[in-house]
Amino acid sequence: MEYIVETHHLTKRFGKEIAVNALNLKIPRGEVYGFLGPNGAGKSTTLRMLLGLMRPTAGSIRIFGKDLKKERISILRNVGSLVESPSYYSHLTAYENLEAMRKILGSPKEKIDEVLDLVRLSNAADKKVKGFSLGMKQRLGIAMALLNDPKLLILDEPTNGLDPSGIIEMRNLIKRLPKEKDITVLISSHLLSEIDQVATYVGVISKGKLIFQDSIKAMRNKAQLKIRLKVSDANNAYRSLLAKGIKTHYQDHIIYLYEQSDEAVAAVVETLVDEGYSVYRVEEEHQSLEDIFLKMTAGGDDR
Amino acid sequence: MIMKLLATDFLKIKRKGLWFLTILGPLGVVLLQWVNYELVPGRREWLLQRSDDDWLFYLQNVNSFTPLALVLGITILTSLAASIENETNAWKQLIALPISKMGVFLSKFTVLAFLLAIASVLLFFFTWLLGIYLDLGAVIPYAQIATFSFYPYFASLPLLALHLWVATVSNNQGIPISLGVIGFLFTSYSFKLPDWLPWKWPSLQNQWDEPLVNVVLGICVGIILYIIGMLDFARRDVK
Repeated sequence: MEYIVETHHLTKRFGKEIAVNALNLKIPRGEVYGFLGPNGAGKSTTLRMLLGLMRPTAGSIRIFGKDLKKERISILRNVGSLVESPSYYSHLTAYENLEAMRKILGSPKEKIDEVLDLVRLSNAADKKVKGFSLGMKQRLGIAMALLNDPKLLILDEPTNGLDPSGIIEMRNLIKRLPKEKDITVLISSHLLSEIDQVATYVGVISKGKLIFQDSIKAMRNKAQLKIRLKVSDANNAYRSLLAKGIKTHYQDHIIYLYEQSDEAVAAVVETLVDEGYSVYRVEEEHQSLEDIFLKMTAGGDDR
Repeated sequence: MIMKLLATDFLKIKRKGLWFLTILGPLGVVLLQWVNYELVPGRREWLLQRSDDDWLFYLQNVNSFTPLALVLGITILTSLAASIENETNAWKQLIALPISKMGVFLSKFTVLAFLLAIASVLLFFFTWLLGIYLDLGAVIPYAQIATFSFYPYFASLPLLALHLWVATVSNNQGIPISLGVIGFLFTSYSFKLPDWLPWKWPSLQNQWDEPLVNVVLGICVGIILYIIGMLDFARRDVK
C-alpha cells in the first residue's frame, strides 16, 4: 500500500506534558482518514506537526515519501489545510482573501472562481468576510485549502459550528474529493458519528497515543451486536448454562451471550427452557461505534 | 518568493488604516509647527527673533516632535500589522503555505520599513512646504531638511525591529502596546537618556553632537535586532 503520510515515533512534549506520544500514523493514498480522539488527545498538535507549524520533539514525518524536515516547502505546495477555526482576514472580501493566498501559491487566477464555485460562495465573493456567517467562513476556509489543488487535504474539525445542512454539504464534498480529484483527506474530529459517515480509514488517538488504526470496516467489526437474555432467576440460569459448557457473561440479572449465531442463540434458549427457567426477553443490544470508541479511549492497553 | 509575500502583505494592509497613519504622522508633526508659528498672533515674530538661523530653528522645532511621532507610529503600525494575522490566528494558515517563516518575517519588516520611509519622504516635503509658507528665508537648506527628515528614520530602525519581534510573538497585544507606551515616555525625555538607549537615537542627540552616529548605530543595531527577531519567530511553534 502506498502511504501518503507516514510518521515514525512522532512525539511532542510541552514542558513535562507529553501531548503526542510515539505516533506511527499511516495514511494510505486515496482514503479519507478519520483521525478520532477526545478533546485534548493530541489531534490538533499532530496535525500542526504534519503542517510544519510545530516542531516534533522526536520522531519523523514523511509526506509523499519526502522528509518534512528537509523538504517542508515542496511538500506544503501539495497540501491544503483548514486547522481548527477558519483563519481569514475579516477586512478583506472573500475574493481578496483567496487572492492573498493565490499570490503566494502562484495558482492561476481562474482557480479562485473555481474554488468559490465549489463551496458555493460565488455570490458573496465581493463581500467582506466580516459579515459572513460561521458556515460561510468555514466554506471559505475549505476554498482556501483547495486553492493549490492539493494532493493531501488536512481538515481539523471541519464541521465545527456548521448547521445541519452545512454539515451534510461538507460531508458530501469530503466524500467526493478522493474520487474526483485523487485527493487523500485527513480529517479529525472528536465525534465518531462525523468520522463514521465520511471516513474509509480510522485512527483513534487517546492521551497522545494511537490506540487503533485500520479501515473503518475493521472498526465496525469490533462494534458487534450483543445478545442479552432476561430470564427468571438469572444467577442460577447463568450457572446451569455454564454447567452445560455454554459460556456467557452475567451482569445485573442479565445474561449476555458471546456466541451470536442464530443456532447458538436457539441452543441457549432451548437449554434454559429445558431447565425450567422462563425466558422473558431475547434482545439485541447494539453496541454503537460510540461505545467502542469510549471503551477504546478509556482503556486502550489490551488492544 | 519575497516579492509574492510582499504583494500579499500590501494587499492585507488595505482598509486597515496603515496608509492613513503613514500620511497622518508627518502631517501632524508639521501641522504642530504651523500651530506653533501661526495660530497666536505675534508668536511667529517672537520665534524668529530667538535665533539667527530661522530655518535651522524651525527644523529643530519640527524635530522635537519627529521622534515621538516615529515611536508612536512604529508601535501602532507593527501592532496593526500583527493584529491582521492575530485576529483569526491566520498565522497557522500563512505558515502552512509553501513559504519560509523567515520570509514571512522579512516581508512584514519590509512593508513597515517601507511605510515609515514613505512617511519620512512626506515629512521632508511637508517640512519644506511649511518652511516656504512661513517665509523663513530665501536660501532653503535642503540638506538640513533631509537630515532632519531621514536621519530619525534610520535611527529608529532598532525600535521597528524590536516592536515587530515583540508584536509577532505576543499573543497578547497589550505587551507590545505597553512597550510602546514606555518607549514613548522614554522618547519624551530623550535629552535625559543615556546615549546607548535606542529610544534616544531618533532625537539625533548624542554627546558628540554628531547625528550620523545615531544613524550608523540605528542601522547596525537594527540589523542585529531584526536577525534576532527573525530567528526567534522562525523557531517558535505556531499555536
